[in-house]
Amino acid sequence: MTDLVATNRAMFWRIIRRLLSANRGRLFVMLLALGAGAAVTAALLNLQVDAKRRLTTEFRAFGPNVLITSGNTLDSSHSVTLSQDIEKVILQMGLGAHVGPFLYIYGDISSDSSSRVPAVVVGMLPFSFDALEPSWKIEPRLAKVRRGDCMVGAVLASRLHFVGERVVHVSVGSNELDCTANRTLSSGGEEDNQIFIDLSVAQSLAALPNRISLIQLSVPGTLPQVSDSITTLQKRFPDADVRPIRQFSEGEAKIYNKISGLLTATVGIVLLLTALCVMAAMTNVAMERKMDVGLMKAIGGATRRVLRLFLVEAALLGFAGGLIGAAAGIFLSIGLGKAVFGVAARPRLIVYPVAVALTIVVAIFSAFPLRRLATIRPASVFRGEA
Amino acid sequence: MFLRLVTDSFGRRPRRKLLTGAALALGMAVATAALSVALDVGDRLAKEFRSLGANLLVTPQADSLPLEIGGVDYRPVNAGAYLPEADLGKLKTIFWHNNIMGFSPMLEVPVVASAAHDHVPIETPGNFTLIGTWSDKNVLIPDGTTYRTGIAKTNPWWNVDGKWFGDSHQCVLGSAFARRFGLHTGDRLNVMSRTSEGHAVGLSLAIVGVLSTGGPEDNGIVASLGTAQALAEKPGQYRRLYVSALTKPEDAFAKRDPKTFTPKEYDTWFCTPYISSIAFQIQQELPGTDVRVIRRVAEGEGQILTRVQMLLWLVTGMALLAAALAVGASSAASVIERRTEIGLMKALGAGSATVGFLLAAEQLLLAFVGGGTGYALGIILARLLGEKIFGVAPEPTLLVFLVVIGLAAVVTLLGSAIPLRRASLYDPAPILRGE
Repeated sequence: MTDLVATNRAMFWRIIRRLLSANRGRLFVMLLALGAGAAVTAALLNLQVDAKRRLTTEFRAFGPNVLITSGNTLDSSHSVTLSQDIEKVILQMGLGAHVGPFLYIYGDISSDSSSRVPAVVVGMLPFSFDALEPSWKIEPRLAKVRRGDCMVGAVLASRLHFVGERVVHVSVGSNELDCTANRTLSSGGEEDNQIFIDLSVAQSLAALPNRISLIQLSVPGTLPQVSDSITTLQKRFPDADVRPIRQFSEGEAKIYNKISGLLTATVGIVLLLTALCVMAAMTNVAMERKMDVGLMKAIGGATRRVLRLFLVEAALLGFAGGLIGAAAGIFLSIGLGKAVFGVAARPRLIVYPVAVALTIVVAIFSAFPLRRLATIRPASVFRGEA
Repeated sequence: MFLRLVTDSFGRRPRRKLLTGAALALGMAVATAALSVALDVGDRLAKEFRSLGANLLVTPQADSLPLEIGGVDYRPVNAGAYLPEADLGKLKTIFWHNNIMGFSPMLEVPVVASAAHDHVPIETPGNFTLIGTWSDKNVLIPDGTTYRTGIAKTNPWWNVDGKWFGDSHQCVLGSAFARRFGLHTGDRLNVMSRTSEGHAVGLSLAIVGVLSTGGPEDNGIVASLGTAQALAEKPGQYRRLYVSALTKPEDAFAKRDPKTFTPKEYDTWFCTPYISSIAFQIQQELPGTDVRVIRRVAEGEGQILTRVQMLLWLVTGMALLAAALAVGASSAASVIERRTEIGLMKALGAGSATVGFLLAAEQLLLAFVGGGTGYALGIILARLLGEKIFGVAPEPTLLVFLVVIGLAAVVTLLGSAIPLRRASLYDPAPILRGE
């Protein structure tokens, strides 16, 4: 009995081997169809996961989304300040956020070609804006900034009539200082009217050592993630006022939802279509097998056994095609990620087993038209009637 | 005879033809839906991006330097230049007037205030800023029509608990202000400003709502532009104008200096809703102004729109490719099945050209029927998608129809061309013998 089972099994696999190797051209077409389907599936699923994460990073092009100010400020002229230590604590908290401390003071600006102009003097870390405000135009982009350098907003620069490097005289109360203006900034907002100097210089100018007006944070993530960060920050600094910059946090959430819905829908459609495409190709090949089915039935093969044979063949093909396709999908998703976001999509391991499993399912489903063949009488197949 | 053969082939095996046609229709439906959505998405998303508010800022050209921190101007009333409110209707007369989604002027007045709750006075010490703007305003356009706009369109993230102020003697209070002094909707607020001549102007305002913006406005008072003008004694004037415009993301062409354009390039630039060309047109309509692009909003929007569109086009490309493959495969299958028939026709004396033509005609007919059905299905699918995601269905366009029908025809022909070519190489005899 066991011998019979063993022989049966050996025969089963032998037929499968023959079925697969009988027509190499057909095998190639089937693997190609399945592989292409799996590759597209894997790449799109990967992109779908990665793109959403990437989008939240892209949104930081809008600049900071969280603001920390002193809790008891009502007089909004920022005369109440925070301790700069907060910045160091935030950096240690590991939120993955860009952090920029700012000190706002009113001062008078003059250069040798212009009279005194009252302006807002902003103390900041030299390269705060590079990470916080990627959309702003800072010219020229310098690799290194000296302590005595300053950056001037575009409108202020034109008001002071200067081009190129200039020495600017800044006075706050009775304190005065000269700085070399070697960068201009254009933002389209209030920053165009301001002058930016080193934070420590501003602090000594305003006689506010280690004090800042506010901290701007660019926290990556979706709205719930950002809200979590805000809650954490607020708990950590109960005296300060931590709040989202609603213009961007709310707008972004809306836009993110639209884009991610759109992406999900489109990817869903493409996956459906890919499945359809693979099924069409596979069904096509399966229909050619009616002679094989007829012959097997003629020599006594039970419908179930014949069917099982073809389903196993399909599953094997699906597995092989899925593996090849998933491997190709890794490269495809890297390429797609590079094309869209300029950064290769990080492969998500979960995506690949899913892609292989889907391919096997599709392959098995595609073999189902054979069921219909199994009901046909072998004699009529051989007479060429079916 | 030709027509008869074609109709006969459809009539004889309706089920098989239906299957091929269904595959075609499905593939084309998906192609239509993906294309419609991808074509439409730029406009739709651009509209969504307007929830970020204004992307253009208009200020007087001959202004003194604004002393702004966090979006609030702290200059005294007598410093700086003003712009006439009466000109604002002209904004809706520029070439791209349909792309102007909203605008609101602003005038800030430094004030001191005192409040009254149930006629009990409440002290509110400190200097505050009263922002005058439009809550919901019917602007008279020079062509005789009116246009409704206001702060809700340019600053959609401003939430008011209660209602917005009307035209006069009403205000909304910043949430931090209200919380600090325990003021509520229904209380009264007396504000007083000092104007240039040194005399004070006072007004009594009813608090009709509490505003939360997450910005410095939370500490201030927002009232109608007329109120602010009265307090500042600057009737009919404003200081800043925020404009929210639908724009096309800037490409390399738009980033060039308009002064270097040839006349033809200039026309192209002028007639494209780039933010720079809209800014230029506004500047022409409102003389004496400086129109600046709020880079944080505009650049961020442009960058994200470009990326999302590219992403969608890639996915749509994949959808089209997959649809083409599916349709090609099924039409190839339908030709392979008919090898016997082809052999018979050739045995009866038909040339390869005639057979090819007959089959091509059949396939084309199928492509048009299947493609048309697919288009109709796809439009429904696109509607569902569009309504689900954006609340607005994309408009069916002729372009998509033509592309889909063309694609269906090309793909079915290509799909059947390869097996047809192979079939035409065979001798009829072995095919008929079943070899």
